[in-house]
Amino acid sequence: MFKLSALQHDALVEIFNLGVGQAAAAMSRIVKEEVTMSVPLIAFQSRAQVAQTLGSGEGRRISAVAQQFVGAFNTEAFLMFPEEKSLEIVRLMVGQSLTMEELGEMEQEAMSEIGNIILNSCMGAFANASGRELQGSLPIYHAGTGDDILGLSGKEWDGVVLALKIDFNIEKRHIHGHVAFLLDMTALQDLQQYVDDYLAGLTK
Amino acid sequence: MITILVVDDSRVSRLLSKQFIAQKHPDWTVAEAASGEEALEKLTHLSPALILLDLNMPGMGGFAAAEKIRPLRPAARIVLLTANVQDATRERAAALGIGFAEKPITETRIDQVIAFLESR
Repeated sequence: MFKLSALQHDALVEIFNLGVGQAAAAMSRIVKEEVTMSVPLIAFQSRAQVAQTLGSGEGRRISAVAQQFVGAFNTEAFLMFPEEKSLEIVRLMVGQSLTMEELGEMEQEAMSEIGNIILNSCMGAFANASGRELQGSLPIYHAGTGDDILGLSGKEWDGVVLALKIDFNIEKRHIHGHVAFLLDMTALQDLQQYVDDYLAGLTK
Repeated sequence: MITILVVDDSRVSRLLSKQFIAQKHPDWTVAEAASGEEALEKLTHLSPALILLDLNMPGMGGFAAAEKIRPLRPAARIVLLTANVQDATRERAAALGIGFAEKPITETRIDQVIAFLESR
């Protein structure tokens, strides 16, 4: 499996820390409650490993928002929550003004917007740390098991998942979220180069 | 009568903007457009004091829309309301002479945008 040097790994954690901090603050403003987060744990894993962590083996279903980013490195980013918590998150976002029916109708759009905000917060930290812009696509909502979600890119795929266990913990609700980035081999090399450039910039 | 045009492909974002504006100013009119193209069409008969523009939308994006709106409605204040928090985006907004506000859309954020409108 792909490995970074200790220094590269530290740099990546540092950049993610900035992004995740911004994302947690954004999430807290969305749900109007305290959102705590763990220090991001970065692991390069296969899709199968990540899907297993997400409970794919037990058929656990996930609500996910996917967004493509292209630029210094290309990736497909995912924000994932347990499917059964999705309506609760949307209710926190829009308040009590909608009926359950209206809420259900808006669930996918609202989750897409939440994904858009959170994933852009994470990726914004990368762009701002390097001064190199990352172009994001429109967010797309998916529901299914971890296998379904992470297998969506399908095809012959030689990449890994940069699994970022963020653990968005919406304090009073026990809702935990995950963020993951799919990177193919070219993207991994670009990411490594990105980190090296970032480190070189620090020592100038 | 003040009119505000909210341009965002996300229905929930339009709903939240409308809700927070109406709470503060129930007498204001809030018009909606789901794309840059629809905004331009609405501007043939609307003269909003403020236009809230999302950046990342299907079809015409926020910057392209702002460039087309500016000569049509030079008196309108335009604020980019976006999840894209990259420095490059803020700089481009500044270069175009439009405001920049970060999503998520909250009561505080909308208050700030209204204060920006009222500061002129």
